[in-house]
Amino acid sequence: MSEQADVIVVGGGSTGCGVVRDLARRGLDTVLVEKGNLTHGTTGRMHGLLHSGGRYAVSDRKSARECIEENLVLRDIAGHCVEETGGMFVKRPEDSEEYFQEKLEGCRACDIPAEVIDGEEARRREPYLARDVEKAIVVPDGAVDPFRLCVANAADAREHGARIETHAEVTDVLIEDGEVVGVEVEHDTGPGKRVHREPGTTEEIRARYVVNATGAWAGQLGEMAGVDVEVRPSKGVMTVMNVRQVDTVINRCRPKGDADIVVPHETACILGTTDEEVEDPEDYPEEEWEVDLMIETLSELVPALKDARTLRSFWGVRPLYEPPGTGTDDPTDITRDYFLLDHDERDDLPGMTSIVGGKLTTYRMMAESISDHVCEKLEYEAECDTAEVPLPGSEDFSVLREYMEEFGIRSPVGRRSAQRLGSKTDDVLSSVSPNPVVCECEGVTRAEISHAIGEAGSDLNAVRLRTRASMGNCQGGFCTHRIAAELTQEYPEPVVRDAEDELYQERWKGQRHALWGRQLSQAMLNHLLHATTMNRDGDPAGLDAGVDFAAFDAGPDAADDPTGGDAGADSGTAAADGGRPFDEGGIDGDR
Amino acid sequence: MTGHDERDTTTDADRIDDGDNAGDVHEPHPGVPTLGRDEQPSIFVPDDGEPEVADGGDERSAATDGGVKSATGGSDSAELDPTTYDPVDVFPGGDLDLRDGADSCYKCTSCDTSCPVAAVDDEFPGPKFQGPEQWRLKRKDDHDIDASITSCSNCMRCDDACPSSVPLSQMHNEARGQFVERQMEKLSREYVRNRILSNYRFFASIASKVPRLANFATNLPGAMWLAEKTLGVTGEREFPPFATQTFRSWWRERGGAQVENPDKRVAYFHGCYSNYNTPEVGKAMVRVFEHFGYEVLVPPQKCSGTPMFANGMLKDARRHAETNVEELVAAIGEGADIIASCTSCSMSLRQEYPELFDIHGIEDVSNHTFEALEYLRIYEDLEGALADSELDEERAFAYHAPCHARNQGLERQAVETFRDVDGVVIEDVGDSCSGISGTYGWKKEKYETSMKIGEEMFEHMEHAEGDVGMTECPTCAMQMEHGTGYEIEHPLQLLADALPIDA
Ligand SMILES: Cc1cc2nc3c(=O)[nH]c(=O)nc-3n(C[C@H](O)[C@H](O)[C@H](O)COP(=O)(O)OP(=O)(O)OC[C@H]3O[C@@H](n4cnc5c(N)ncnc54)[C@H](O)[C@@H]3O)c2cc1C
Ligand code: SF4
Ligand code: SF4
Repeated sequence: MSEQADVIVVGGGSTGCGVVRDLARRGLDTVLVEKGNLTHGTTGRMHGLLHSGGRYAVSDRKSARECIEENLVLRDIAGHCVEETGGMFVKRPEDSEEYFQEKLEGCRACDIPAEVIDGEEARRREPYLARDVEKAIVVPDGAVDPFRLCVANAADAREHGARIETHAEVTDVLIEDGEVVGVEVEHDTGPGKRVHREPGTTEEIRARYVVNATGAWAGQLGEMAGVDVEVRPSKGVMTVMNVRQVDTVINRCRPKGDADIVVPHETACILGTTDEEVEDPEDYPEEEWEVDLMIETLSELVPALKDARTLRSFWGVRPLYEPPGTGTDDPTDITRDYFLLDHDERDDLPGMTSIVGGKLTTYRMMAESISDHVCEKLEYEAECDTAEVPLPGSEDFSVLREYMEEFGIRSPVGRRSAQRLGSKTDDVLSSVSPNPVVCECEGVTRAEISHAIGEAGSDLNAVRLRTRASMGNCQGGFCTHRIAAELTQEYPEPVVRDAEDELYQERWKGQRHALWGRQLSQAMLNHLLHATTMNRDGDPAGLDAGVDFAAFDAGPDAADDPTGGDAGADSGTAAADGGRPFDEGGIDGDR
Repeated sequence: MTGHDERDTTTDADRIDDGDNAGDVHEPHPGVPTLGRDEQPSIFVPDDGEPEVADGGDERSAATDGGVKSATGGSDSAELDPTTYDPVDVFPGGDLDLRDGADSCYKCTSCDTSCPVAAVDDEFPGPKFQGPEQWRLKRKDDHDIDASITSCSNCMRCDDACPSSVPLSQMHNEARGQFVERQMEKLSREYVRNRILSNYRFFASIASKVPRLANFATNLPGAMWLAEKTLGVTGEREFPPFATQTFRSWWRERGGAQVENPDKRVAYFHGCYSNYNTPEVGKAMVRVFEHFGYEVLVPPQKCSGTPMFANGMLKDARRHAETNVEELVAAIGEGADIIASCTSCSMSLRQEYPELFDIHGIEDVSNHTFEALEYLRIYEDLEGALADSELDEERAFAYHAPCHARNQGLERQAVETFRDVDGVVIEDVGDSCSGISGTYGWKKEKYETSMKIGEEMFEHMEHAEGDVGMTECPTCAMQMEHGTGYEIEHPLQLLADALPIDA
């Protein structure tokens, strides 16, 4: 299969999604290819801070100005992805007064609204702040949901004729006559929605221009095209707390440092972060000390964090770019600005541009500038309107009413649904009966789940990202199977099983870094419930091999059984573990 | 918080208030209450009419203040001691933020499976949702509490069921308070009705001045019909009769305590019901404790707050708590422990008080409170005392353990105390909930739920050998009587009969 488009955008992070929306709205025929889900890369593994610019007000005023500008734009065009939490830079006694003043001046110089409040007032607003916090600068930080944001951008692009392909990895960049003419992609399960167990396919997609928006992977894509893109990936840890200890973004007011921010996000709080250069954006160590550091250091600001329950930790890699020859040693010194690398100018390879660096907050601005650049290359003229036109879901907030009574859902559940769905709430909640609530921790209704399945196929991680289902304190222990059950309306049983396993595994992955105290108890309860009620520690249906039914009832003569022991005990064992063939070891709940 | 000093107005109020003792000037006799203060009808002054001094006019403020978490027992709530400071103390006007309570929940659903309301009412989402889930989903400026919170009867079985000590009833109480404060139409019939039911004590105090008339009036044909139509109080139940003489007036008449003993003192928290409706329980308490050589004090007191918590009337509850705590702290100062004959009263003083309010000394009150039988089982050799006792005639009881007794670990005490007594047959009718939960079963829209919950208990009572019911809780007693027609006794009454007390 082959197709000629105007532009291929590689990478479904905030940058790629922003670019594809922009170009599609300008009327170009655009294709987005992403190897995983949307936000599979760094965008799905970040803090969710909608920067006010305050964090850069001292070190990088250009970035700071861009942040506040885009911060205001996103509140307008992406209302359903943004929570206007406000933020504070708090000063502890040991933090420098001089820096506090610099920060304040910096904010003012960059037109970031900033107000100084004393410690008492800060604690009135955020009662869990430490008692010795002396004062704070209040800035308009916010929280942004990166997934909702990317999905909305992609949806708008699709409405304007773009093709969006997820689970489609670029395996080669096609070059003809010294010019990039397209890419080769491998579809995980064929083009379109991802459905487990469908065979993969390969496709060549041809286009007049290719945009490399693969962030930390930009070097790899560059390699495929034979050019050097010097991205220095740098990892950062984020730790998710079970509840919101604060409702405002809390930053430590001191020069760059690890563990200096708490972002309230939906029902949780996210602590961050570190900055450590790594070799490979996909293969780097996830270390315990990093998590410990978050909790310990940040409990200087919010003491309650010390005893609070942690749900999981995850890591993201920053796509930091360093122009050749800069030679910076410390990753935190690398600029947070973004760079547009025109490979025609740079490497004599026309037809492709890479964009690296930057922040999620300024994704739209980056997308605008790269779209301008692409249009120039294609000698195409069109205006950018992405700063004015709201994203799907954020168009009309007057439709947000009291959903609870209308759809018979409980008040906090209705609120959360409406906040996630924005102006789509009506359609979604009226499509299927919203009750019963499928994910109790996050208050996700059945209607929301089936709507997400309609968009995402059997990919339950994509459903999770759309709805937050399985992201609460049980981490999927009580709801993965319920969510999977919703799939059975459309998909055969083996697909449902694979989908369920995949989601459960994904949830387990992050929880591994929170296995002490209450989350450990939770994990044990989950494990036992799944083992004892669903036989998931040895479910014959989960094995590819046939079931050895003889093992259920080996009878008193089964003395030569490899596990040894007396015959009675053997048959008991066989029955208890569901007749698992003995050579099929290593199956337990931690798969 | 009330801005009243009720003490100043006592003398006048006494006279109006307490006909049988008007003009009586006492030398304080041990255990004889200061007249009147506790029985003024001042308790139904609507909140709106009160000077809101403490809150600086913040109309959103609820009555709770995070309860006591500090090591000092909340005794320096006025000046926060930085070393014992706890974040929940600083919410202005007292809103509690219980989101962190959700940290302990494993979603195991034990609470839901033990909830008697959820068992019979499909619309009720259950304690897990009402508590940890709702609080976790809530945000600071997001004050919507789901209306289903009013369907919780506050039986507190969920507290008991939770393996992880999630403060469920505290979460429910706070949520109910916020719901009532902010979301319930203040002039709605439901609000007025709940306010009246939860301030039962006030009406009871008036009715007991003219008990015969009150009994007559509430039993007039049509009286209950009228209550149902105008207030939404169910017409299926009969109002409990008022005693012709309140416990307190009996106590005064008898000249207060008959035993003086500075080493063994107890302060009796009789609660509303045994004062106004079943003074025989209070009298039995006095006889039993005096038999064991205790000096009984009867401090001035107001409602324990149980019905108010259950109706989200936290401001009312707080006002009453202030008086109670002050008086009970004084009694503790005189060396007394606090004894209640109603398990909901002891529950309230023990658990709900320090969870919801931070009042000087409230933790002390909590630590010194006991249920009457519990206390005797701890400090006296009841078994020995009952070893030779013999009742005049053989008696058989169908005993129901109130949910609130269960919460205090007292569900077996009556059976264990009496099963070996000669001439007594006592049978536990099972661990189901009676279904009335105080004022809950009085509400028209809850009546059916209440009776459905009670069904199991009624059935078991009928199967039991005895045809006299027994329970520690006055409202459970109402329900038992209503469902079976049995006469109901309090364990203290049987104890008074079984002990060799010269009447
Ligand atoms: C720890 C951390 C915290 C952060 N916090 C914030 C914050 O609070 N606020 C903020 O504004 N910014 C924050 N950032 C920065 C922000 O997350 C990133 O700048 C932004 O998400 C980058 O988006 P992107 O689209 O450029 O890259 P990515 O999101 O990484 O997108 C690249 C995509 O390309 C895909 N891809 C790679 N190779 C291929 C291939 N061969 N074929 C197809 N697809 C491919 C990847 O799967 C990936 O999805 C943070 C970054 C980190 C690391
Ligand atoms: S207090 Fe009783 S009625 Fe209320 S939720 Fe708990 S168990 Fe259910
Ligand atoms: S019993 Fe306790 S831990 Fe279990 S679901 Fe209920 S509140 Fe949570």
